[in-house]
Amino acid sequence: MADMQTVIGVETRVSGEIRGGEDLVVKGRVDGKIQLTHALTVDKGAIVQADVDVKNLVVSGTLVGNIVASESVGLHASARVVGDLASPRVMMESGAAYRGRVDMGDIEAARAAVASRAVARPAASSLATARERPAPPRMGAPPRTVVVATKAAPRFVAPTVGERPAAVSAAPSAPPAFPRVAGAVGGMAPAWAKKKVRRR
Amino acid sequence: MAKEKETKSMANTVIGSSIVVDGEITGEEPLTILGTVKGRIATAQSVVVEAGATVEADVEGQTVTLSGKLTGNVTAREKLELRPESKMVGNAKAPRIVFADGATFKGNVDMDV
Repeated sequence: MADMQTVIGVETRVSGEIRGGEDLVVKGRVDGKIQLTHALTVDKGAIVQADVDVKNLVVSGTLVGNIVASESVGLHASARVVGDLASPRVMMESGAAYRGRVDMGDIEAARAAVASRAVARPAASSLATARERPAPPRMGAPPRTVVVATKAAPRFVAPTVGERPAAVSAAPSAPPAFPRVAGAVGGMAPAWAKKKVRRR
Repeated sequence: MAKEKETKSMANTVIGSSIVVDGEITGEEPLTILGTVKGRIATAQSVVVEAGATVEADVEGQTVTLSGKLTGNVTAREKLELRPESKMVGNAKAPRIVFADGATFKGNVDMDV
């Protein structure tokens, strides 16, 4: 009993902030913010809509929010992640869906950027903000990343649309990455999607 | 008397001893707290506040078992149990309430009589 692992169960939802100095496994749902000095595991079927600041991150479920991981990030095949990511080591399995910016450089700078952005940009920042910064150019450059994104993208977008309306009203502080999802879904299709349509 | 709940086999939620949750925990499954929770707790199953845990929240559950410290109003649909060494400040509402010897309590008790 003494060394029980922290788990947010399948049928449980936490909205708010989780801080701590131990490993956390999310099987259910978390909205808000997660800050740990240890590892965070987002299990398959779990939904996390939060800015994440941890040491190690392993995602098999869905994660929307900006990520800072001081050691490593691992996205498994079933992972669907939207948000900017900063970590010195990033692993993506084939089949993982990810959209956002990857920074494997200065973690502290990225952490500061996330913090300032969260303050500066209100939760309900408009689509205009999203249009100002479309898919970052870095995303297009490495072919590896493009393949992963294209392959998994159709699966990825559909469920996100369905869940979104409820989440919008419920989320106390929608992560900054969030409006960009809405933008991509409602009308403004991402670059890869347009290309696909033209080919047909 | 088949009163044993299937809590052991179910997927539980556990808040570990070094974890602080600031906000709301809602769910349909048993919840065990060893750390700190501030805000609101509502579950359709049992809530266990272990020794060493601190809860500053309104708590709602089927059964609520307290061994740690709790500040807030508690509503238990079945039973509220204050174990020895537990500390509670707030109003307690439950059809059955157990105060163990050594438990500390300040607040109103409502057993719906």
